[in-house]
Amino acid sequence: MSCTVRVASPLRSYTEGAAKVAAEGATLAEVLGDLERRFPGIRFRMIDEQGRIRPHMRLYVNTSEAQALDAAVHRGDTVHVICALSGG
Amino acid sequence: MALSSTERARYARHLSLRELGVAGQERLKAARVLVVGAGGLGSPAAMYLAACGIGTLGIADFDRVELSNLQRQLLFDSTSVGEPKTAAARARLERLNPEVSVVAHDLELRAANIRAVIDSYDVVLDGSDRHGTRYLVNDACVIAGKPLVAAAIHCWEGHVTTIVPGRGPCYRCLFADVPEGAVANCAEAGVLGVLPGVLGTLQATEAVKLVTGIGEPLIGRLLTYDALEMRFTELPVARRAECAVCGERPSILEPFDRAPLCDSAELSAVRRLSAASLADELASEAGDALLLVDVRDPLEFRTGHLSGSINVPVAELARRLAELPGDRTAVFICRSGVRSRSACAIALAAGVPGAAHLEGGLIAWTREVDPDFPLDPPSGTGA
Repeated sequence: MSCTVRVASPLRSYTEGAAKVAAEGATLAEVLGDLERRFPGIRFRMIDEQGRIRPHMRLYVNTSEAQALDAAVHRGDTVHVICALSGG
Repeated sequence: MALSSTERARYARHLSLRELGVAGQERLKAARVLVVGAGGLGSPAAMYLAACGIGTLGIADFDRVELSNLQRQLLFDSTSVGEPKTAAARARLERLNPEVSVVAHDLELRAANIRAVIDSYDVVLDGSDRHGTRYLVNDACVIAGKPLVAAAIHCWEGHVTTIVPGRGPCYRCLFADVPEGAVANCAEAGVLGVLPGVLGTLQATEAVKLVTGIGEPLIGRLLTYDALEMRFTELPVARRAECAVCGERPSILEPFDRAPLCDSAELSAVRRLSAASLADELASEAGDALLLVDVRDPLEFRTGHLSGSINVPVAELARRLAELPGDRTAVFICRSGVRSRSACAIALAAGVPGAAHLEGGLIAWTREVDPDFPLDPPSGTGA
Protein backbone atom coordinates (compact mmCIF):
# COMPACT_ATOMS: atom_id res chain seq x y z
CA MET A 1 0.00 0.00 0.00
CA SER A 2 1.48 3.32 -0.96
CA CYS A 3 0.51 6.45 0.90
CA THR A 4 1.73 10.02 1.16
CA VAL A 5 3.23 11.27 4.38
CA ARG A 6 3.22 15.00 5.04
CA VAL A 7 6.19 15.68 7.26
CA ALA A 8 6.09 18.27 10.04
CA SER A 9 8.54 21.11 9.49
CA PRO A 10 10.74 20.24 12.52
CA LEU A 11 11.25 16.70 11.16
CA ARG A 12 12.21 17.67 7.62
CA SER A 13 15.89 17.55 8.51
CA TYR A 14 15.44 13.77 8.33
CA THR A 15 13.80 13.83 4.89
CA GLU A 16 16.39 16.10 3.28
CA GLY A 17 13.88 18.94 3.48
CA ALA A 18 11.05 17.10 1.75
CA ALA A 19 7.60 18.21 2.94
CA LYS A 20 5.98 15.03 1.66
CA VAL A 21 7.31 11.56 1.01
CA ALA A 22 5.75 8.34 -0.26
CA ALA A 23 5.68 5.38 2.12
CA GLU A 24 4.52 1.78 2.21
CA GLY A 25 2.45 0.06 4.87
CA ALA A 26 -1.02 -1.19 5.72
CA THR A 27 -0.89 0.27 9.24
CA LEU A 28 0.61 3.39 10.74
CA ALA A 29 3.25 1.20 12.43
CA GLU A 30 4.30 -0.18 9.05
CA VAL A 31 4.35 3.25 7.45
CA LEU A 32 6.55 4.59 10.25
CA GLY A 33 8.76 1.51 9.95
CA ASP A 34 9.21 2.22 6.26
CA LEU A 35 10.08 5.84 7.04
CA GLU A 36 12.57 4.75 9.69
CA ARG A 37 14.37 2.46 7.23
CA ARG A 38 14.81 5.32 4.78
CA PHE A 39 15.21 8.19 7.25
CA PRO A 40 16.91 6.72 10.33
CA GLY A 41 15.92 8.40 13.58
CA ILE A 42 12.68 9.96 12.36
CA ARG A 43 10.42 7.43 14.11
CA PHE A 44 11.89 8.12 17.51
CA ARG A 45 11.03 11.79 17.14
CA MET A 46 7.35 10.76 16.90
CA ILE A 47 7.14 7.61 19.03
CA ASP A 48 8.60 7.08 22.50
CA GLU A 49 10.36 4.07 24.00
CA GLN A 50 7.01 2.55 24.98
CA GLY A 51 5.64 2.78 21.45
CA ARG A 52 3.33 5.69 22.27
CA ILE A 53 2.82 8.76 20.14
CA ARG A 54 4.77 11.55 21.82
CA PRO A 55 2.64 14.19 23.55
CA HIS A 56 3.86 16.99 21.27
CA MET A 57 3.08 15.01 18.12
CA ARG A 58 -0.22 14.14 16.42
CA LEU A 59 -0.65 11.66 13.61
CA TYR A 60 -3.62 11.69 11.28
CA VAL A 61 -4.64 9.27 8.57
CA ASN A 62 -6.42 11.64 6.20
CA THR A 63 -8.50 13.66 8.67
CA SER A 64 -8.83 11.01 11.38
CA GLU A 65 -6.50 11.33 14.33
CA ALA A 66 -4.64 8.08 15.04
CA GLN A 67 -4.63 7.20 18.74
CA ALA A 68 -2.38 4.18 18.24
CA LEU A 69 -0.05 2.72 15.66
CA ASP A 70 -2.43 -0.04 14.57
CA ALA A 71 -4.52 2.49 12.61
CA ALA A 72 -5.18 1.20 9.10
CA VAL A 73 -3.62 2.97 6.14
CA HIS A 74 -4.96 2.40 2.64
CA ARG A 75 -3.51 3.04 -0.78
CA GLY A 76 -3.75 6.74 -1.59
CA ASP A 77 -4.22 7.86 2.01
CA THR A 78 -2.37 10.84 3.41
CA VAL A 79 -0.66 10.56 6.78
CA HIS A 80 -0.23 13.95 8.42
CA VAL A 81 2.59 14.24 10.94
CA ILE A 82 1.86 17.27 13.11
CA CYS A 83 4.39 18.61 15.60
CA ALA A 84 3.87 21.35 18.17
CA LEU A 85 5.61 24.49 16.93
CA SER A 86 7.01 27.14 19.22
CA GLY A 87 7.96 30.07 17.02
CA GLY A 88 6.11 33.35 17.17
CA MET B 1 -20.57 52.28 22.29
CA ALA B 2 -21.54 54.87 19.68
CA LEU B 3 -19.24 55.80 16.80
CA SER B 4 -18.04 59.35 16.19
CA SER B 5 -18.27 60.90 12.73
CA THR B 6 -14.50 60.40 12.33
CA GLU B 7 -14.89 56.75 13.19
CA ARG B 8 -17.76 56.37 10.74
CA ALA B 9 -15.46 57.70 8.03
CA ARG B 10 -12.49 55.57 9.10
CA TYR B 11 -14.48 52.35 9.26
CA ALA B 12 -16.71 53.03 6.23
CA ARG B 13 -15.77 49.76 4.50
CA HIS B 14 -16.74 47.83 7.63
CA LEU B 15 -20.01 49.69 7.95
CA SER B 16 -20.82 48.62 4.40
CA LEU B 17 -20.27 44.95 5.22
CA ARG B 18 -23.67 43.38 5.67
CA GLU B 19 -22.53 41.06 8.48
CA LEU B 20 -20.67 43.75 10.41
CA GLY B 21 -22.30 47.16 9.95
CA VAL B 22 -22.60 49.75 12.69
CA ALA B 23 -23.51 47.21 15.38
CA GLY B 24 -20.45 45.10 14.64
CA GLN B 25 -18.16 48.11 14.57
CA GLU B 26 -19.53 49.23 17.92
CA ARG B 27 -18.73 45.79 19.31
CA LEU B 28 -15.18 46.11 18.02
CA LYS B 29 -14.90 49.50 19.71
CA ALA B 30 -16.12 48.08 23.01
CA ALA B 31 -13.77 45.09 22.79
CA ARG B 32 -10.54 44.54 24.71
CA VAL B 33 -8.01 42.22 23.05
CA LEU B 34 -4.61 41.18 24.39
CA VAL B 35 -1.76 40.21 22.06
CA VAL B 36 0.88 38.10 23.82
CA GLY B 37 4.22 38.57 22.09
CA ALA B 38 5.04 41.53 19.88
CA GLY B 39 6.91 39.38 17.39
CA GLY B 40 6.26 37.94 13.97
CA LEU B 41 2.71 36.87 14.79
CA GLY B 42 1.90 39.74 17.12
CA SER B 43 2.94 42.37 14.58
CA PRO B 44 0.33 41.77 11.87
CA ALA B 45 -2.27 40.72 14.45
CA ALA B 46 -1.90 43.94 16.44
CA MET B 47 -1.71 46.14 13.36
CA TYR B 48 -4.89 44.73 11.83
CA LEU B 49 -6.72 44.83 15.15
CA ALA B 50 -5.70 48.45 15.66
CA ALA B 51 -6.62 49.37 12.09
CA CYS B 52 -10.03 47.72 12.37
CA GLY B 53 -10.94 49.62 15.51
CA ILE B 54 -10.57 47.31 18.51
CA GLY B 55 -11.26 49.68 21.40
CA THR B 56 -8.51 48.52 23.76
CA LEU B 57 -5.48 46.63 22.52
CA GLY B 58 -2.99 45.19 25.02
CA ILE B 59 0.53 44.21 23.98
CA ALA B 60 2.53 41.97 26.32
CA ASP B 61 6.26 41.52 25.71
CA PHE B 62 9.51 42.04 27.60
CA ASP B 63 12.07 42.05 24.80
CA ARG B 64 13.77 44.88 23.03
CA VAL B 65 13.75 45.27 19.26
CA GLU B 66 16.70 43.62 17.52
CA LEU B 67 17.86 44.13 13.97
CA SER B 68 17.12 40.48 13.16
CA ASN B 69 13.45 41.07 14.11
CA LEU B 70 12.86 43.47 11.23
CA GLN B 71 12.79 40.73 8.57
CA ARG B 72 9.26 39.85 9.76
CA GLN B 73 8.09 42.04 12.66
CA LEU B 74 6.37 44.87 10.84
CA LEU B 75 5.49 46.77 14.00
CA PHE B 76 9.09 47.98 14.06
CA ASP B 77 11.53 49.72 11.74
CA SER B 78 15.22 50.50 11.75
CA THR B 79 14.74 53.39 14.17
CA SER B 80 13.17 51.03 16.75
CA VAL B 81 16.24 48.86 17.29
CA GLY B 82 17.13 48.77 20.98
CA GLU B 83 13.76 50.11 22.17
CA PRO B 84 11.43 48.08 24.38
CA LYS B 85 9.05 46.30 22.03
CA THR B 86 5.93 47.35 23.88
CA ALA B 87 6.86 51.06 23.71
CA ALA B 88 7.77 50.89 20.03
CA ALA B 89 4.60 48.90 19.29
CA ARG B 90 2.37 51.35 21.14
CA ALA B 91 3.85 54.31 19.24
CA ARG B 92 3.35 52.53 15.91
CA LEU B 93 -0.22 51.43 16.70
CA GLU B 94 -1.25 54.86 17.97
CA ARG B 95 0.01 56.40 14.72
CA LEU B 96 -1.94 53.79 12.79
CA ASN B 97 -5.17 54.49 14.66
CA PRO B 98 -5.39 57.13 17.40
CA GLU B 99 -8.96 55.97 18.15
CA VAL B 100 -7.52 52.82 19.77
CA SER B 101 -6.32 52.71 23.36
CA VAL B 102 -3.06 50.75 23.39
CA VAL B 103 -1.92 49.27 26.70
CA ALA B 104 1.75 48.24 26.97
CA HIS B 105 2.47 45.34 29.33
CA ASP B 106 6.27 45.47 29.47
CA LEU B 107 6.75 42.27 31.43
CA GLU B 108 7.38 38.57 31.12
CA LEU B 109 4.15 36.69 31.67
CA ARG B 110 4.55 34.34 34.61
CA ALA B 111 2.20 32.44 36.86
CA ALA B 112 2.35 35.27 39.37
CA ASN B 113 1.11 37.97 37.00
CA ILE B 114 -0.79 36.39 34.13
CA ARG B 115 -4.24 36.40 35.68
CA ALA B 116 -4.02 40.08 36.53
CA VAL B 117 -2.94 40.84 32.96
CA ILE B 118 -5.58 38.80 31.10
CA ASP B 119 -8.37 39.61 33.52
CA SER B 120 -9.49 42.81 31.81
CA TYR B 121 -9.45 41.41 28.25
CA ASP B 122 -12.21 39.72 26.28
CA VAL B 123 -9.99 37.76 23.89
CA VAL B 124 -6.32 36.74 24.03
CA LEU B 125 -4.02 36.09 21.04
CA ASP B 126 -0.94 34.00 21.68
CA GLY B 127 2.03 34.78 19.48
CA SER B 128 4.71 33.91 22.01
CA ASP B 129 7.90 32.14 21.04
CA ARG B 130 8.31 29.42 23.65
CA HIS B 131 6.29 26.46 24.77
CA GLY B 132 6.37 27.43 28.44
CA THR B 133 4.51 30.65 27.70
CA ARG B 134 2.08 28.85 25.39
CA TYR B 135 1.01 26.48 28.16
CA LEU B 136 0.92 29.28 30.73
CA VAL B 137 -1.37 31.37 28.50
CA ASN B 138 -3.55 28.38 27.63
CA ASP B 139 -3.97 27.33 31.24
CA ALA B 140 -4.71 30.86 32.42
CA CYS B 141 -7.27 31.38 29.65
CA VAL B 142 -8.99 28.04 30.28
CA ILE B 143 -9.17 28.70 34.02
CA ALA B 144 -10.44 32.26 33.47
CA GLY B 145 -12.80 31.23 30.65
CA LYS B 146 -11.17 33.58 28.12
CA PRO B 147 -11.25 32.83 24.39
CA LEU B 148 -7.74 32.31 23.02
CA VAL B 149 -6.45 32.28 19.46
CA ALA B 150 -3.17 30.37 19.41
CA ALA B 151 -0.73 30.33 16.52
CA ALA B 152 2.85 29.16 16.05
CA ILE B 153 5.38 29.03 13.25
CA HIS B 154 8.52 27.13 12.23
CA CYS B 155 10.55 27.61 9.05
CA TRP B 156 7.85 27.42 6.33
CA GLU B 157 4.98 25.97 8.40
CA GLY B 158 2.40 27.54 10.67
CA HIS B 159 -0.51 26.44 12.88
CA VAL B 160 -3.52 28.31 14.18
CA THR B 161 -6.51 27.26 16.27
CA THR B 162 -9.16 28.95 18.36
CA ILE B 163 -9.80 27.88 21.93
CA VAL B 164 -13.06 28.81 23.61
CA PRO B 165 -13.16 27.20 27.06
CA GLY B 166 -16.24 25.03 27.47
CA ARG B 167 -16.94 24.96 23.74
CA GLY B 168 -14.00 22.94 22.45
CA PRO B 169 -10.51 21.59 23.07
CA CYS B 170 -7.65 23.61 24.54
CA TYR B 171 -3.97 23.69 23.64
CA ARG B 172 -3.25 20.85 26.09
CA CYS B 173 -5.90 18.74 24.32
CA LEU B 174 -4.00 19.43 21.11
CA PHE B 175 -0.51 18.81 22.51
CA ALA B 176 -0.57 17.40 26.03
CA ASP B 177 3.03 18.41 26.68
CA VAL B 178 6.14 19.53 24.87
CA PRO B 179 9.47 18.61 26.40
CA GLU B 180 11.57 21.76 26.59
CA GLY B 181 14.00 21.74 23.70
CA ALA B 182 12.14 19.04 21.77
CA VAL B 183 11.34 21.44 18.95
CA ALA B 184 13.71 24.12 17.75
CA ASN B 185 12.36 27.66 17.72
CA CYS B 186 12.71 30.28 14.99
CA ALA B 187 15.98 31.64 16.38
CA GLU B 188 17.52 28.23 15.90
CA ALA B 189 15.72 26.87 12.86
CA GLY B 190 14.98 30.04 10.88
CA VAL B 191 11.65 31.29 9.60
CA LEU B 192 10.36 32.78 6.37
CA GLY B 193 9.69 36.46 7.06
CA VAL B 194 6.30 36.41 5.34
CA LEU B 195 5.08 33.32 7.22
CA PRO B 196 3.94 35.00 10.47
CA GLY B 197 2.19 37.60 8.33
CA VAL B 198 -0.22 34.88 7.17
CA LEU B 199 -0.74 33.28 10.59
CA GLY B 200 -0.92 36.53 12.58
CA THR B 201 -3.50 37.87 10.14
CA LEU B 202 -5.57 34.71 10.62
CA GLN B 203 -5.38 35.27 14.38
CA ALA B 204 -6.67 38.82 13.97
CA THR B 205 -9.49 37.52 11.76
CA GLU B 206 -10.53 35.07 14.46
CA ALA B 207 -10.42 37.80 17.11
CA VAL B 208 -12.72 40.01 15.04
CA LYS B 209 -15.15 37.11 14.61
CA LEU B 210 -15.09 36.23 18.31
CA VAL B 211 -15.67 39.83 19.37
CA THR B 212 -18.50 40.43 16.93
CA GLY B 213 -20.04 36.95 17.09
CA ILE B 214 -19.88 36.70 13.31
CA GLY B 215 -19.03 33.55 11.40
CA GLU B 216 -17.71 30.19 12.54
CA PRO B 217 -14.64 30.28 14.75
CA LEU B 218 -11.77 27.82 14.36
CA ILE B 219 -12.85 25.84 17.43
CA GLY B 220 -11.90 22.16 17.47
CA ARG B 221 -9.96 22.58 14.25
CA LEU B 222 -6.26 22.97 13.65
CA LEU B 223 -5.46 24.90 10.51
CA THR B 224 -1.98 24.20 9.19
CA TYR B 225 -0.27 26.24 6.52
CA ASP B 226 2.67 25.07 4.46
CA ALA B 227 4.19 27.99 2.58
CA LEU B 228 6.52 25.76 0.55
CA GLU B 229 3.61 23.89 -1.00
CA MET B 230 1.15 26.76 -0.53
CA ARG B 231 -1.27 24.42 1.17
CA PHE B 232 -3.77 24.88 3.97
CA THR B 233 -4.96 21.75 5.77
CA GLU B 234 -7.74 21.58 8.35
CA LEU B 235 -7.54 18.79 10.91
CA PRO B 236 -10.09 18.06 13.64
CA VAL B 237 -9.09 18.30 17.29
CA ALA B 238 -11.28 16.77 19.98
CA ARG B 239 -11.44 17.59 23.67
CA ARG B 240 -9.54 15.07 25.75
CA ALA B 241 -11.36 13.80 28.83
CA GLU B 242 -8.00 13.36 30.54
CA CYS B 243 -6.75 16.88 29.68
CA ALA B 244 -4.85 18.25 32.67
CA VAL B 245 -6.55 21.64 32.54
CA CYS B 246 -9.93 21.29 30.78
CA GLY B 247 -10.59 17.57 31.25
CA GLU B 248 -12.99 15.82 33.58
CA ARG B 249 -10.57 15.76 36.51
CA PRO B 250 -8.20 18.67 35.94
CA SER B 251 -4.93 18.61 37.86
CA ILE B 252 -3.97 22.14 36.83
CA LEU B 253 -6.14 24.50 38.84
CA GLU B 254 -3.80 27.48 38.78
CA PRO B 255 -1.37 28.69 36.09
CA PHE B 256 2.19 27.58 36.83
CA ASP B 257 5.68 28.27 35.53
CA ARG B 258 7.41 25.40 33.82
CA ALA B 259 10.78 24.49 35.24
CA PRO B 260 13.41 24.54 34.06
CA LEU B 261 12.80 27.33 31.59
CA CYS B 262 15.29 26.90 28.79
CA ASP B 263 15.01 29.99 26.65
CA SER B 264 16.10 30.28 23.08
CA ALA B 265 19.39 31.94 24.05
CA GLU B 266 20.32 28.96 26.20
CA LEU B 267 19.34 26.45 23.55
CA SER B 268 21.15 28.44 20.87
CA ALA B 269 24.31 28.42 22.99
CA VAL B 270 24.41 24.63 23.13
CA ARG B 271 27.62 23.32 21.54
CA ARG B 272 27.00 20.44 19.17
CA LEU B 273 29.45 17.63 18.56
CA SER B 274 28.95 15.30 15.63
CA ALA B 275 29.42 11.61 16.29
CA ALA B 276 32.60 11.58 14.20
CA SER B 277 34.12 14.58 15.96
CA LEU B 278 33.26 13.15 19.38
CA ALA B 279 34.95 9.89 18.38
CA ASP B 280 38.03 11.87 17.27
CA GLU B 281 38.14 13.83 20.53
CA LEU B 282 37.76 10.70 22.62
CA ALA B 283 40.61 9.06 20.72
CA SER B 284 42.91 12.06 21.22
CA GLU B 285 44.60 13.33 24.36
CA ALA B 286 41.74 15.82 24.78
CA GLY B 287 39.46 12.87 25.42
CA ASP B 288 40.58 12.66 29.03
CA ALA B 289 39.09 16.08 29.70
CA LEU B 290 35.63 14.99 28.57
CA LEU B 291 32.92 13.66 30.86
CA LEU B 292 30.28 11.68 28.97
CA VAL B 293 26.89 12.12 30.62
CA ASP B 294 24.22 9.79 29.25
CA VAL B 295 20.82 11.36 30.02
CA ARG B 296 18.66 8.45 28.86
CA ASP B 297 16.54 6.34 31.18
CA PRO B 298 18.44 3.68 33.19
CA LEU B 299 16.86 0.87 31.15
CA GLU B 300 18.17 2.34 27.92
CA PHE B 301 21.56 2.96 29.55
CA ARG B 302 21.85 -0.65 30.66
CA THR B 303 21.19 -1.86 27.12
CA GLY B 304 24.34 -0.17 25.96
CA HIS B 305 26.36 2.99 26.55
CA LEU B 306 29.61 4.58 25.53
CA SER B 307 32.60 3.46 27.55
CA GLY B 308 33.24 5.67 30.55
CA SER B 309 29.89 7.45 30.46
CA ILE B 310 27.81 8.06 33.57
CA ASN B 311 24.00 7.90 33.68
CA VAL B 312 22.02 10.94 34.84
CA PRO B 313 18.48 10.87 33.38
CA VAL B 314 17.51 14.29 32.09
CA ALA B 315 14.61 14.55 34.53
CA GLU B 316 17.09 14.28 37.42
CA LEU B 317 19.80 16.47 35.96
CA ALA B 318 18.88 19.81 37.53
CA ARG B 319 19.17 18.44 41.06
CA ARG B 320 22.22 16.26 40.33
CA LEU B 321 24.39 18.83 38.55
CA ALA B 322 26.68 18.97 41.59
CA GLU B 323 27.70 15.38 40.85
CA LEU B 324 29.46 16.46 37.66
CA PRO B 325 33.20 16.95 38.22
CA GLY B 326 34.07 20.58 37.56
CA ASP B 327 37.45 19.79 36.00
CA ARG B 328 36.03 17.99 32.94
CA THR B 329 33.83 19.19 30.09
CA ALA B 330 30.41 17.55 30.10
CA VAL B 331 29.19 16.04 26.85
CA PHE B 332 25.53 15.06 27.12
CA ILE B 333 24.35 12.02 25.21
CA CYS B 334 20.95 10.47 24.52
CA ARG B 335 19.38 8.37 21.84
CA SER B 336 18.52 10.99 19.21
CA GLY B 337 20.00 14.26 20.47
CA VAL B 338 16.74 15.77 21.75
CA ARG B 339 17.08 15.06 25.47
CA SER B 340 20.81 15.75 25.41
CA ARG B 341 20.20 19.17 23.93
CA SER B 342 17.75 20.03 26.70
CA ALA B 343 20.23 18.66 29.25
CA CYS B 344 22.95 20.84 27.82
CA ALA B 345 20.73 23.92 28.05
CA ILE B 346 19.88 23.07 31.67
CA ALA B 347 23.57 22.75 32.50
CA LEU B 348 24.50 25.98 30.74
CA ALA B 349 21.67 27.84 32.47
CA ALA B 350 22.97 26.56 35.80
CA GLY B 351 26.44 27.90 35.04
CA VAL B 352 28.20 24.69 33.95
CA PRO B 353 30.76 26.03 31.44
CA GLY B 354 31.47 24.60 28.01
CA ALA B 355 28.85 21.84 28.02
CA ALA B 356 28.25 20.14 24.68
CA HIS B 357 25.94 17.46 23.33
CA LEU B 358 26.17 14.67 20.82
CA GLU B 359 24.14 15.87 17.85
CA GLY B 360 21.91 13.14 16.48
CA GLY B 361 22.57 11.11 19.61
CA LEU B 362 23.55 7.47 19.71
CA ILE B 363 21.58 6.91 16.52
CA ALA B 364 24.17 9.08 14.75
CA TRP B 365 26.94 7.28 16.65
CA THR B 366 25.63 3.95 15.37
CA ARG B 367 25.45 5.30 11.84
CA GLU B 368 28.79 7.13 11.72
CA VAL B 369 31.10 5.45 14.21
CA ASP B 370 30.03 2.06 15.51
CA PRO B 371 27.35 0.11 13.60
CA ASP B 372 27.47 -2.57 16.31
CA PHE B 373 26.58 -0.24 19.16
CA PRO B 374 23.68 -1.89 21.11
CA LEU B 375 21.07 0.83 20.79
CA ASP B 376 18.06 -1.41 21.29
CA PRO B 377 17.52 -4.43 23.53
CA PRO B 378 17.93 -7.77 21.70
CA SER B 379 14.15 -8.28 21.71
CA GLY B 380 13.78 -5.17 19.56
CA THR B 381 11.18 -3.64 21.84
CA GLY B 382 12.82 -0.23 21.66
CA ALA B 383 11.76 2.43 19.20
